[in-house]
Amino acid sequence: MVIQILLLSGLVLFSILAILLKDLLKAALSLAVASLFLGIIFFRLGAPYAGVFEISVVAGLITVLFALTVALTRKDSEVQEARLTKLVFPLFFVIFLIIDGLVMKGLLQQVPALPAGPETGTFGEVLWKARTFDLVAQLGVILAGVLAVLALFRKKEEDKDE
Amino acid sequence: MSNLWFLYLFFSALLIFTGIYCLLTMRNLIKLFIAVEVISKGVSLVIIATGAVKNSILLAQSMAITYIVVEVSLVATALALIINIYKKNKSLDVRSLSKLKG
Amino acid sequence: MVFSFIFLPLVIAACLPLIGKISKKVIPDVLTNATLGFLLINSILLIKPIFSRGSLLQNINWFGENVNLQIALDGFNLFMLFTISLVSLCITLFSIDYLKHYGHQANFYALLLVMVAGMNGLVLVPDLFSVYLFLEVAAVASYALVAFGLGPEELEASFKYLMLSVVASAFVLLSITVIFGLTGSLSFQAVARGLQDLNAGPVLGVCLAFFIMGFGLKAALVPFHAWLPDAHPSAPAPISAMLSGLLIKVSGVYALFRIVYSVVGMTPALSRVLMAMGAISIVVAALLALGHNDIKRMLAYSSISQVGYIILGLAIGTPLGIAGGLFHLFNHAVAKGLLFLNSGSIQHITGTRNLNELGGLGKKVPITAGTNLVGALSIAGVPPLAGFWSKLIIIIALVQANHFGYALVAILASILTLWYYLLIQRKAFFGPLNDRWQQIKEAPFWMNAANIILALLCLLVGIFFSPIFKTWIAPAADALARGVQQVLMWGI
Repeated sequence: MVIQILLLSGLVLFSILAILLKDLLKAALSLAVASLFLGIIFFRLGAPYAGVFEISVVAGLITVLFALTVALTRKDSEVQEARLTKLVFPLFFVIFLIIDGLVMKGLLQQVPALPAGPETGTFGEVLWKARTFDLVAQLGVILAGVLAVLALFRKKEEDKDE
Repeated sequence: MSNLWFLYLFFSALLIFTGIYCLLTMRNLIKLFIAVEVISKGVSLVIIATGAVKNSILLAQSMAITYIVVEVSLVATALALIINIYKKNKSLDVRSLSKLKG
Repeated sequence: MVFSFIFLPLVIAACLPLIGKISKKVIPDVLTNATLGFLLINSILLIKPIFSRGSLLQNINWFGENVNLQIALDGFNLFMLFTISLVSLCITLFSIDYLKHYGHQANFYALLLVMVAGMNGLVLVPDLFSVYLFLEVAAVASYALVAFGLGPEELEASFKYLMLSVVASAFVLLSITVIFGLTGSLSFQAVARGLQDLNAGPVLGVCLAFFIMGFGLKAALVPFHAWLPDAHPSAPAPISAMLSGLLIKVSGVYALFRIVYSVVGMTPALSRVLMAMGAISIVVAALLALGHNDIKRMLAYSSISQVGYIILGLAIGTPLGIAGGLFHLFNHAVAKGLLFLNSGSIQHITGTRNLNELGGLGKKVPITAGTNLVGALSIAGVPPLAGFWSKLIIIIALVQANHFGYALVAILASILTLWYYLLIQRKAFFGPLNDRWQQIKEAPFWMNAANIILALLCLLVGIFFSPIFKTWIAPAADALARGVQQVLMWGI
């Protein structure tokens, strides 16, 4: 329990760092560390496959994509953030923390839930047999993403024509 | 058990708040997208925690994996957009994009 | 057969980039139009069996394995499927000539088909998480399509749209997950049954607030509308038509009301909130539309305002109100599709969309001007066009349910709508002809054909409104008005 709370705090801490750090590469890396924490939390909650996906895909692949983008857009791309933003953030964060705590505690007393029986079968069966439509939709999303990247990085035809 | 559920909801609410705050106030396009990533971490935490607490971790796991795939697709599209914007404007500042006013 | 609505466009979309290497123009054009034409015929063929049986729950077996590919079809879904197929077919017909501006037909059509597949999937699946996924399928395709021109404005609008849309779908997914936590399941039927047994009170209220926020962002209801007036005008004309005519209605209005009516169950408080939001959208967007000179931007604001009417009608909760809302949804999809395509024609003809530069085009391009007039009057609610009847039904339903204030708002805003549409007409098509436009020619064949088909639809639906309403809209509205019972009846 204590370890879990520590991991969760680490997750939040590194996410905040990812947002506050000025250097984009460092920000992307702390995002990856946050993903790592999340992956471990998943594993400890009994979701090893999701944990592996979180670590390999989000902490790995997405960080690589971020680093690539940062590298491609590095040249004179300094963006001056408003200083107030970062100074005020802790204040808002603490206020939200208190509200969050109170709301969650308030909800805690009155949440009915249906008792759920333990699941049967293995993860593979659930994914392939119970959630088959999700796999179709995943294919759709991947197709959309690939086509989107193709469309955005195409050579312009008009330039040749005119 | 539902005690635990609210613990995880508490933390993911923090993540989502952080992301939205950044989305509303920051100016760097890549930073904005990091904010989106933080929000989506909060969401996937909720998914897995819900599954773990409610004894349907297998279903939740397949949801989380699907969500991660969607995320990758979104990240690819968004970063392609950012690179294109940078090529056009030579800047990553939101303020340089003020041609459109909602 | 029903599965072809999802699989066929996806398969064709996957093949198109390869086919595009062989034939740049003709085959992608033909294939896309043939696909959408097939889907349209398919949806018409489904009308009879669905209306005689009430609903249909289909499952397929894959090589003998018992996989869970389940879709559910009732009057409401079928109505949406038909609307999607019809309007997107007209849009692709228009694109045949219009895409010469952009090139890369194959890629464009592939994205468009993925978007259609996403919308069809969203409409067909009886499962909360799948609804979210298909929402994303359609959304990812639409981000790329908004930015398809690759100009600075397009890219910026697309980025803004992406950011807000991601937040919207995150909230939708959060809410779905919490409902999953409460009931332990995701399918509509099981969730509806679970929520009936459960007195979930405040937690469910938070979920609904998230749903309204998420889907409200997708549908561009007024506090959440900031992205639409950028994204819709920046996109290529066919995509503007697609987004305004279909996407905001499917991923916003359909998803919200399917969940509110069929899964959670409508309550008076919820009805009040949604009606208030609808009324605010109507008024605010109509006022904002007045100050603009760009045709497409005015049309975009008008979309927000008309979606307000749809939501106002659907949220009343009486069968007549729902029918009015659905009828207006159809009419607006057709008319706004027409107007956005028409703005594409104007841009093709003159090269500008700025109303102050246009003028007197009516004599030169009678077809474009005439179809534009029909669409504008239909949306503004002038009899005997289709839009008049749907607005009339919404207003009658409001009066019947004793919401006189909202009825008054609806009437006054429709006068405002008429005003700014007449403004477009006067500035673009009437008055003295600007010398710059002496040489212009009428738009190419397919662009006019698509405009004429949609304009005829506005006219015919208006004239034959009574039989169409009885045989087509009313059953769809009944499916929704039965509320949670409808979902529990599925498959029995």
